[in-house]
Amino acid sequence: MNVWERLAAIDRRWIYLACGIAVLMPFIIPVSLPVYTTPEVQGVYDAVKNLPDSSVVMLTYDYYPSTLAETEPMSRAALHHLFSKDCKIVTISNIPLGGPTIAERVTRELAAQYGKEYGTDYVNLGYKANYVAVMKGLGSSIRSIFPADNSGTPLGQLPLMQEVDSYEDIDFIFIVADNATADYWVSIVNAQYGVPMCCGATAVMAPKMYAFMGSGQLKGLLGGMKGAAEYEQLIGHKDRAVRGMDAQSLIHLLIIGLVVLGNLGYFMGRREKGIGR
Amino acid sequence: MRKTVPVVTAFVTGVIVTISFFFNEHTTLIGKVQGGILQWVTIIFGLALALGMVSITRVNFNKIKRKQEGWFYSVLVIVSVFVMAIPSALPVSWSPMFGRNEGSLYYWLWTRISEPMMATMFAMLAFYIASAAYRAFRARSTESTLLLLTAVIVMLSRIPMGEWFLRLFNESLPDWVNIYIMNGFNLSVQRGIIVGAALGAASMSLRIILGIERTYMGKG
Repeated sequence: MNVWERLAAIDRRWIYLACGIAVLMPFIIPVSLPVYTTPEVQGVYDAVKNLPDSSVVMLTYDYYPSTLAETEPMSRAALHHLFSKDCKIVTISNIPLGGPTIAERVTRELAAQYGKEYGTDYVNLGYKANYVAVMKGLGSSIRSIFPADNSGTPLGQLPLMQEVDSYEDIDFIFIVADNATADYWVSIVNAQYGVPMCCGATAVMAPKMYAFMGSGQLKGLLGGMKGAAEYEQLIGHKDRAVRGMDAQSLIHLLIIGLVVLGNLGYFMGRREKGIGR
Repeated sequence: MRKTVPVVTAFVTGVIVTISFFFNEHTTLIGKVQGGILQWVTIIFGLALALGMVSITRVNFNKIKRKQEGWFYSVLVIVSVFVMAIPSALPVSWSPMFGRNEGSLYYWLWTRISEPMMATMFAMLAFYIASAAYRAFRARSTESTLLLLTAVIVMLSRIPMGEWFLRLFNESLPDWVNIYIMNGFNLSVQRGIIVGAALGAASMSLRIILGIERTYMGKG
């Protein structure tokens, strides 16, 4: 086996080891390069910034625990920004697997930092099955779809929910999602009820969301951990996403390097064998 | 009767929900009827979840009873399902361990077992993707070369180090990637896909409402 053939056939265990090192290295030696702001993230920041103080905002936790690394920093940054503007927050999840529990954990933690009270400043509606029917139903009456909140308290007993009963009472929707629910928030709620919204989506989903940015249906977009890092930087709360950018940088560079190596080995190997001349 | 009732139900509910789009949901009768239908949908889906629980229990119980290969995993499935589901469904007033709030058994199991396990499984993808990209991403044709180059440029533009590297060539290079690749080629293709999928969904909905498409009844 010559050098080119070896280059094109590196054992996968070496690749796994390199990945492990690339992920761990930034925790030992942080690089912390500056993150530049893209217009999409600036759009999210401006949309929230321009909301009148004490606006009612619906924040969605439409993600599974598998994508927490990308999505939770978005939710945390959104809560920092919204609570700092004294916005009233209604959280909802269209994902049964974890969504309501993540909403409970993250919102309570951030609310405690800002001295916000459950029921008055924020409410966790929890989860109801079939997101298309839920999104449509909320337009008629939130109480008809969610008679009680996530912990079973009737909505009528929560001061915030006495003022909020449909999209007409909601000023803005901040979607954080890792799946198709984001499309439905736009195509059902924005298109039919005209509620302004922005979206935080995983990096895999983000390219699709550009279409909704282009149509003006989304005011802004946080794409993956990079989008979350940009948003954290804009609101002045550098947190998990900014820290995670070092590891993501190294992994991206490693993958690019491996692709280059693989192609180099492939083409040089073919050239030596005289194939393709 | 077994065919007519579902077809008529699909037609009536489909027409009401479609027409109500043009009417006020709070003041008109059709809007209120639509609200009722949507409430029913969430209730029926909730019952479907309960049915799923019955089904998963029955399938796994039979596996254990017959001592089929991997029966021990079925025991784990049943124990996990019930340990998570039952305490979370019981009222908090009975015990702080019940319900889904902080301090409950469900919350503890979820945050300490389910969440880290699911995140770990997903994180492992990075290792497989790195290995797969190295093995499969070859510039064998013009199309694959274009795909490869675009992927490399977009990957670079999505990380601070790559952004810094691209700015060494031209200060505006990462912005051009955003304008021409993400907001140009990507946007137009995504828009085409979305419009195509929407047309497909509309035609399928019409087929269901008009009773042409009946596969939802379990028959072709």
